[in-house]
Amino acid sequence: MSVIEIRGLSKKFGKNVVLDNIDLVIHEGDVVAIIGPSGTGKSTLLRSINLLEKPEKGTIKINDQEIDLTTRSAREKLELRKNTEMVFQQFNLFKNRTALENVMEGLMVVKKLKKSEARSIAEKHLQKVGMGDRLSHYPRHLSGGQQQRVAIARALAMDPKLLLMDEPTSALDPELVSEVLITIKKAAQEGNTILLVTHEMNFVRNVANRIIFLENGKIVADGTPKEIFDNPKNQRLKEFLVKIHMLESADYTI
Amino acid sequence: MSKIFDWRLVFTEIPALLKYLPVTLQLTGVALIIGWVIGLLIAVVKIHNVPILRQLCTLFVSVVRGTPIIVQLYLTYFGIPIALKYYNFYNGTSYNVNGIPSIIFAIVALGLNQSAFDSETIRAAIQSVEKGQVEAAKALGMNGFQIFRRVLFPQAVTVALPSLGNSLISLVKGTSLAFTCSVVEITAQGKILAGNSYRYFEAYCSLAIIYWVMTIFIERLFVYLEKKLSVPETVSTEESCGHTFTPGKTGRALSKKHGQEKGKGKEE
Repeated sequence: MSVIEIRGLSKKFGKNVVLDNIDLVIHEGDVVAIIGPSGTGKSTLLRSINLLEKPEKGTIKINDQEIDLTTRSAREKLELRKNTEMVFQQFNLFKNRTALENVMEGLMVVKKLKKSEARSIAEKHLQKVGMGDRLSHYPRHLSGGQQQRVAIARALAMDPKLLLMDEPTSALDPELVSEVLITIKKAAQEGNTILLVTHEMNFVRNVANRIIFLENGKIVADGTPKEIFDNPKNQRLKEFLVKIHMLESADYTI
Repeated sequence: MSKIFDWRLVFTEIPALLKYLPVTLQLTGVALIIGWVIGLLIAVVKIHNVPILRQLCTLFVSVVRGTPIIVQLYLTYFGIPIALKYYNFYNGTSYNVNGIPSIIFAIVALGLNQSAFDSETIRAAIQSVEKGQVEAAKALGMNGFQIFRRVLFPQAVTVALPSLGNSLISLVKGTSLAFTCSVVEITAQGKILAGNSYRYFEAYCSLAIIYWVMTIFIERLFVYLEKKLSVPETVSTEESCGHTFTPGKTGRALSKKHGQEKGKGKEE
């Protein structure tokens, strides 16, 4: 069973330490949710893993290959990015391409598949996210939820070892959140390895098999949803859960 | 008494002027390509903030935008031969200035002028593409060149097109000054013909008509291109399968099929 090992990941913005020597081991098929107060480096952790941010220190072992996250080698960077895919808060679809073309893009340009192959893979993945009837729609013709589902199809079509999701539902209208969550749940059930930053605690409780509580650049708590939500040991985690109404507080009465 | 204004000549002279239209078009075409290519290079230097080169580019753009095109034509017309003489002197070569066709001087001047104006348009257009899309392309594993070719370029073109069209129109009109580099194009030919007949006003009327028609044609062309390259307003079943790439026959058939299904969906 292959694992993804992140060792000693550190990242500063100026003097502000955002990630402080993070170690994280993710097993294949895991759905790991990262929770925590804003500004604690949740997104930065994700973005450092596929080098959209440049960490100061750290290594990642993926696909039995260890890559230094401070690498300057373009080949290693591309290698890492090919093994990971990202779903963004703002969807970031290519605006000048249809849903189908968006999904085909990586398959054709990066994986160098023939157009017909790319097309059939892309159609398969778009059908899975329930967008099979919107193949020739441009992003501007799709709702936020639909765009995010296309973005998920685009990421999954690349068959990543690790799927990174950076607050995939935060930019959506409330009524569109569930369609995206259902899509993510399906992707999780199909055995994709997912590292997810989200504020949808009820979703996390149901879908994730492991939760990491990140604060001030450190992993403060790490456990199953049961351990985190029902029996939090860490004081800071308790306070956080109270604040987001996931835990009854003693002096909290209406 | 001969006519004060020979309106017939305005039209009968046009064919004689059009004989030199190929020269005007050649000047325009080559200068346009030089302008786009160098303009793109300048834009890339500015976006990536390359030290030294960036300052040089800023200086170049500032000088070109701050001087009249006719002065620039004179500068190249007299400057290139002087540069060549220096080169010959220091390297012991004997390149002949007279061997350079005069159209080259005009093309260099017009092309460089065009590049300075287009560089700003191109830079703004490239920077108008959302950063998020570049990140998405990076995350997919595309390299820098692929990101430029597949993500930035196609979208920047749509943004830049109207301004590039305007700048092309001013280039066409700028070619009328090429006579200063002793290039005979349509305006020069008009002056020559008028020199013989003393019908200057008629010749300039003919020229005005020719330039105007060319400009209308270019305007129309750019409006058409803009429409063709932009993302359609509505989901149309026929065209929706993309201008950015053309799918094969199966693709068209499929997209049609989906269109029909969509139609059905609406009826329900």
